[in-house]
Amino acid sequence: MAPIDRIPADDWTDQDLLTKDEAGERLDDEIVTVTGELDRLRAAGIGPLEQDEVELLTRRLEAMKAARASFRT
Amino acid sequence: MPLQPWMKLISVDDHLIEHPRVWQDRLPAKYKDTGPRIVEQPLGEGRPDAQVWVYEDRIYPYIGLNAVAGKKPEEYGLEPVRYDDMIPGCYDPKARVADMDIDGVEAMMCFPSFPRFCGTVFLEAEDKELALACVQAYNDFVLDEWCAAAPGRLIPIVILPLWDAQASVREIHRVAAKGAKGISFPDLPHALGLPSVHTDYWDPVFSAVEETGMPLCQHFGSGGATSIPQIAPDAPFAVMINLMGLNSMHATADWLFSPALHKHPKLKIGLSEGGVGWMPYLVERAGYVWRKHRYYQNINQDVEPLELFRKHFHGCFIEDDFGIQNRHIIGVERITWECDYPHSDSFWPGSRKRAAEAFADVPDDEVHQMVELNARRFYNLPAAADKPAAAGVAS
Repeated sequence: MAPIDRIPADDWTDQDLLTKDEAGERLDDEIVTVTGELDRLRAAGIGPLEQDEVELLTRRLEAMKAARASFRT
Repeated sequence: MPLQPWMKLISVDDHLIEHPRVWQDRLPAKYKDTGPRIVEQPLGEGRPDAQVWVYEDRIYPYIGLNAVAGKKPEEYGLEPVRYDDMIPGCYDPKARVADMDIDGVEAMMCFPSFPRFCGTVFLEAEDKELALACVQAYNDFVLDEWCAAAPGRLIPIVILPLWDAQASVREIHRVAAKGAKGISFPDLPHALGLPSVHTDYWDPVFSAVEETGMPLCQHFGSGGATSIPQIAPDAPFAVMINLMGLNSMHATADWLFSPALHKHPKLKIGLSEGGVGWMPYLVERAGYVWRKHRYYQNINQDVEPLELFRKHFHGCFIEDDFGIQNRHIIGVERITWECDYPHSDSFWPGSRKRAAEAFADVPDDEVHQMVELNARRFYNLPAAADKPAAAGVAS
């Protein structure tokens, strides 16, 4: 079966999708960034105000690592 | 102050990739062989087969890319051609929510991909009975499967059988009863060979939309290839990308000078992915035109375009520094935020971070409107739980 001409009704967009490779690269960069943020917070000392932020960053970091690992399988 | 932790990002423009069985799971048996289905397409030269949609007897290449004007398989590039190439969040709602959590996004509304942004692939159908069944099947997928996997996180927008106004009216009421929150509608219907918004063809549809309280969501480019700026054949694609907001401008001008908004005072219109920075100029220009030129044209003589704009429209942006700086001219209450996941121009996994940068100099109450509250109001979304008191601040 060969493609046939279609009416010129395609949506106009240059949008391609995030591939696993590109998404993985973005995650790699963000993991480095968030790891650095956590290191800075811990080096400065974690008080009550920082505890919530550390918790959220840690949770996000773990989620990103899990996603990154899934793209490699 | 920038984006506060308790502000929930609601994105009004994202996309989903339909998994292979969306239609095969839902169409009557007599339509299985002609309804949309995924087939393996050899690409030759040691490349893995591509997965392509086939609908009736037409092949639609590039499950991973919207648009393109029917390239032959031998012309495929490096775009994802198999589901395995994409991140699962493209087509799996559970994975989508996990990616949203990484991205810091609370909720999103997803436009279709294979059907095109507002279902116009079904305009090509030879069998309109099948086409109607396909529209309904897609909407049922969105409502019963995609969004049902994460209520409140994935917001349902639906498509219509645009070739039949009365069928569209029935579908609007059917999906509203099932919880739909928005209706995808072509930005420039006349470019698709459909009646324009200047006719009375759409009146029953617009009335039904008003009755159900759902906004019309007009994604730029949904009017098809003939609706977009015709750049020089040798122009770099950057020219086209730079002009992306023009379709939304055109759609807005059409509405402002049509009778539709005067006949349908409750109609809400969302302009998707066109940005917002152009709005002040377009509306100002419409005012000039109205004041000087209305007397000899079939234009409403009494209501200024600015009044119509403020009553009916909202827009959204991914990046629009000028729009943010001029938000008071546009109307803070008219602006919403978008993520555009899983398109590669999204900032995933850093959307929340990017939003924080964009809003760095914007007061909290205005930021909260633009990233969350306006979307809740336009799309009738439940209010979030009361925000917790910020650490160190007395409640």
